[in-house]
Amino acid sequence: MALPRLGYENLGLGVGLRSVHFPYILQNNPAVDWFEIISENFMDSQGRPRWVLDQLAERYHIVMHGVSMSIGSTDPLNFEYFKKLKKLADAVDARWVSDHLCWTGVAGRNSHDLLPIPFNEQTLDHVVGRIRIVQDLLERPLVLENPSSYVTFADSTLSEWEFLTRMADEADCGLLLDVNNVYVSSVNHDFDPVEFIENVPYERVVQFHLAGHTNMGTYCIDTHDGHVIDPVWDLYRLAHKLTGGVSTLLEWDAKIPPFTEVHAEVLKARRHMTSQLHDVPIPLTAPGPPDASAMPHPLHLVVPEVQ
Amino acid sequence: MSQPPRNLEDIQQWLQAVITHPDGIAAGVESFDAQQQIDVSAADLESVIPRSQARTSIERLAVYGNAYFARLVECMRELFPALVHALGEELFDGFSLEYLQKYPSRSYTLEHLADHFIQFLQETRPDEAEASWPDFIIDLARFEWTIDDIFNGPGVEQERLLTVEQLQAIPPQRWPDARLVPVVCLRLLAFKYPVNDYYTEFRQGNEPALPEPAESFVALSRRDYIVRRYELTRPQFQLLTALVAGNSVGDAIGLCAEASDDLDSLAADLQDWFRLWAADGFFQRVELPE
Repeated sequence: MALPRLGYENLGLGVGLRSVHFPYILQNNPAVDWFEIISENFMDSQGRPRWVLDQLAERYHIVMHGVSMSIGSTDPLNFEYFKKLKKLADAVDARWVSDHLCWTGVAGRNSHDLLPIPFNEQTLDHVVGRIRIVQDLLERPLVLENPSSYVTFADSTLSEWEFLTRMADEADCGLLLDVNNVYVSSVNHDFDPVEFIENVPYERVVQFHLAGHTNMGTYCIDTHDGHVIDPVWDLYRLAHKLTGGVSTLLEWDAKIPPFTEVHAEVLKARRHMTSQLHDVPIPLTAPGPPDASAMPHPLHLVVPEVQ
Repeated sequence: MSQPPRNLEDIQQWLQAVITHPDGIAAGVESFDAQQQIDVSAADLESVIPRSQARTSIERLAVYGNAYFARLVECMRELFPALVHALGEELFDGFSLEYLQKYPSRSYTLEHLADHFIQFLQETRPDEAEASWPDFIIDLARFEWTIDDIFNGPGVEQERLLTVEQLQAIPPQRWPDARLVPVVCLRLLAFKYPVNDYYTEFRQGNEPALPEPAESFVALSRRDYIVRRYELTRPQFQLLTALVAGNSVGDAIGLCAEASDDLDSLAADLQDWFRLWAADGFFQRVELPE
């Protein structure tokens, strides 16, 4: 039986570190419990991003969250990538290292997107085997997130939560439960998000993600460009109750407001931890006007500073 | 399910071919690359990607298809903001789309997304001998890509650099044999167009027009984690290039003098140049032979 959260501590309420907020954070030392970084933005940096990270690592807990591990890909694992990932994790004393249950490319290519996998025994064996290797390389348990997805496969024989449960047990890894992604995928794939939340192995949930998304009317896109909507907070309350509370992180990646607004959004979680659960099922919100420019999971580039 | 599941690798190869096809999902499904992995027509797509209650299989796949180029083109815009201004968004996006098809990302990091972009622009430039706007486009792309490279590359922020005082303390008789070791982040660039001026105008929020051809020389370096730009004259560029190539100060000045038609002026300027470059942190240290 795994220790709750694999023994990882509950860090409290954190914010995803984005470069537009570097100056504010360095100047004001905001009272944030912890920061989550996009690993790939810092792994190779020998410039300002890495310098900023080093400063913050002295003052804050840091968690590393990757977007290119491609744990589900049938391409060989990139050992150079893991070497750099571990080096950074050791250097900034990362509390844990996470990525997504997905693949990003095959045949040597990288789509830089979080692509879905079919949930079946073949994929399970493949992913579990790779997680074990990665955990040996990183010398720590891996934490994997359920990504938002927009298609399902005829070749799937398991539900996503069944797959997550068996994967976590067989590979002895942790889970990053993205509550917003559960909601987005539930709309896109016609499943009950409450059933998902109730059936993940919550003793293995190390961390929650929260974010805003865009409702396109007949589907949702995980745009990370706004406030967390009430139905997602409802799911968060349920997940908080089931897990007993784990580290919670807000992601805001497009139309990014000032830092104080991003921080205030995650602090809303406090009142949801203590309030009563709504009656299930979670209702769908009314769609906003379709946004033709909505893009899933915005990419992160640190734009150079030049004089 | 009565049949064994498809091979995971086949599914991934197929999905990648489908969602990265420039002509959309239906064309992607019918493409040779996709058909080689899973022989299914657009009409029978539900046998691979089921529809949802509200969306067809093609509509669902289109979320990935639309995002693939849109997200990466957005990154290209962020990497080359002045070039976007010079070309206009539509033309820049067109170049980027073509580029991403020819040189798709093969790295875990977006920092390498434009590694082949200059090469691509050179390969696809119109075949004109005289300096013309394609040269300006390539110059500007090279300028912005070098800034990106320096910003995240190795620097010397934590190291001691050669000071003006150390430079001036070198005995005059030892100057010719001295070697000035450049900082690792120093780049010297020669252009057919005044791209640094154009970049300055762009950054100031002006709307610079395409400039006339005029050779220009720029040093780019980094101090305090910020990329700095230094306009150079041709002799300055020649001298610095010779120093960076590992020549001694005497040899470098000699090479510069050979190319100069105003030796008096060159001799008068040298001391100021070295002092200026040391103050700007161009040199890591001086090496004097035993």
